[in-house]
Amino acid sequence: MATVVTVTSGKGGVGKTTSSAAIAAGLAQAGHRTVVIDFDVGLRNLDLIMGVERRVVFDFVNVISGEATLNQALIQDKRLENLSILAASQTKDKDALTEEGVGQVLEQLAEMGFEYIVCDSPAGIERGATMALHFADHAVIVTNPEVSSVRDSDRILGILQSKSKRAKEGGKVHEHLLITRYDPARVDNGEMLSKEDVCDILAVKLIGVIPESKAVLKASNTGVPVILDDDADAGLAYGDAVARFLGEDRPMRFVTPKKQGLFSRILGGGD
Amino acid sequence: MMAPRIRANRYSVMTLEWPKDSEPLEQWLKEQCDKAPALMQEIAIVLKPSLEHESEEIQAAIDSLDQLGIGLIGLTGDSSHRALADEMGLAWLSPNNVTVEPQSEKERDVNQPRETALVVEGPIRSGVQVYAKDRDLIVIGQVSEGAEIMADGHVHVYGRCRGRVAAGVSGQTNAEIFCLTFEPELVSLAGTYCGSDQIPENLWSARVRVGLDENSQKLTFGLMG
Ligand SMILES: Nc1ncnc2c1ncn2[C@@H]1O[C@H](COP(=O)(O)OP(=O)(O)O)[C@@H](O)[C@H]1O
Ligand SMILES: [Mg+2]
Repeated sequence: MATVVTVTSGKGGVGKTTSSAAIAAGLAQAGHRTVVIDFDVGLRNLDLIMGVERRVVFDFVNVISGEATLNQALIQDKRLENLSILAASQTKDKDALTEEGVGQVLEQLAEMGFEYIVCDSPAGIERGATMALHFADHAVIVTNPEVSSVRDSDRILGILQSKSKRAKEGGKVHEHLLITRYDPARVDNGEMLSKEDVCDILAVKLIGVIPESKAVLKASNTGVPVILDDDADAGLAYGDAVARFLGEDRPMRFVTPKKQGLFSRILGGGD
Repeated sequence: MMAPRIRANRYSVMTLEWPKDSEPLEQWLKEQCDKAPALMQEIAIVLKPSLEHESEEIQAAIDSLDQLGIGLIGLTGDSSHRALADEMGLAWLSPNNVTVEPQSEKERDVNQPRETALVVEGPIRSGVQVYAKDRDLIVIGQVSEGAEIMADGHVHVYGRCRGRVAAGVSGQTNAEIFCLTFEPELVSLAGTYCGSDQIPENLWSARVRVGLDENSQKLTFGLMG
């Protein structure tokens, strides 16, 4: 039985794709056979972040419409043997994602022996997003520490617990909260919500706080999921989050402002 | 393919009762909008002029509602105003067609004992509506901002209540609201409501009980031990 993990948020630009890539890579690193699927039909950027954009021949929609087999469309990651990517189509229309078609692809992936299927959900509550939510066993809710993002996440949680397959069958989707783009200095100044505030509003178990970091942009420009960057705070924080998702207990890091030491002040500071 | 269908759904629609000898309507509406701006923008209203109102007066009232951005969906009251509703493209809501819940053979006393409570586990999220028909509602856990919980009976929230709460929604004036942590957007009892801006400050985040004073038709707030 494969576990479907949907990465979602409601709002765009909060870090869903960055997080999907990191979580999928983290699960694969931990030894689990994992596939990550881009549900953002029409935009398609998971393949860029995974550094496989030039290897995309067939995509998710091709498989659903029977134009290609799953084997033809799956892209094996070059760094992690346990990891595969299923890209989204850049051109096809969103209605191509039918419930039946998506369900069949997920079933086939499970039969192929994948343990985790990570779904990168698009923003909003349209087709791609609802399809990604529909089949979720676990949902990772990505939220930025600001009011509008938190409110959208709350709304998505409501949809998740009423519209998902699990909910309709009387069960519950497991919820995990991931706060991204966290800037402890701005939290201290009161410019951003604190992680405590966010948890208080959403009442969902927190699996990680990812700091705002230049390493994220660098990682996506070079096509290497940031979790594979051991020198980056964001990478380490994603590592912790995946470990917590898998049940490990780890203390939160990078949640207090960096002390500006004498050296860094003299040398100009920075990340 | 799904066929279109007509369903009975519940929306909260308020009736604006407008007696002939009342203070000028426009002024009164402006005050309401100042008191609870968000609320007034969101409610749907049916205007009930009195028999003596002239068409011109009603038309002026409709214009004021429009200018204040209050959503008017129709007219009700004396059937002599029906032609005006038609003329203005508004719905006519016949006063004879008001549904009194429950629609049982013999009309039930609204203050009679009800079924056992509907118990739901929170969090009740933004955008979600819960309605306990003919009974009390108990929420275990939080109610998020943007959620709506309603009951014909009492409403109890064993958690943080940040959404909209309505008790006695079919007119039960003895219904009450009980919250462990009281931070609602709106509370309403038997149709009498108030927005968060009208809630006494010392009650914010406290354990609060809300009732309705039948004489003054005002909400009463009390701290619970
Ligand atoms: N922790 C972070 N620090 C800095 N920038 C980030 C972080 N997470 C995401 N970003 C940036 O935010 C933007 C949106 O991220 P993305 O993962 O594409 O979001 P989404 O998929 O939710 O639209 C990208 O430019 C990305 O580089
Ligand atoms: Mg994205």
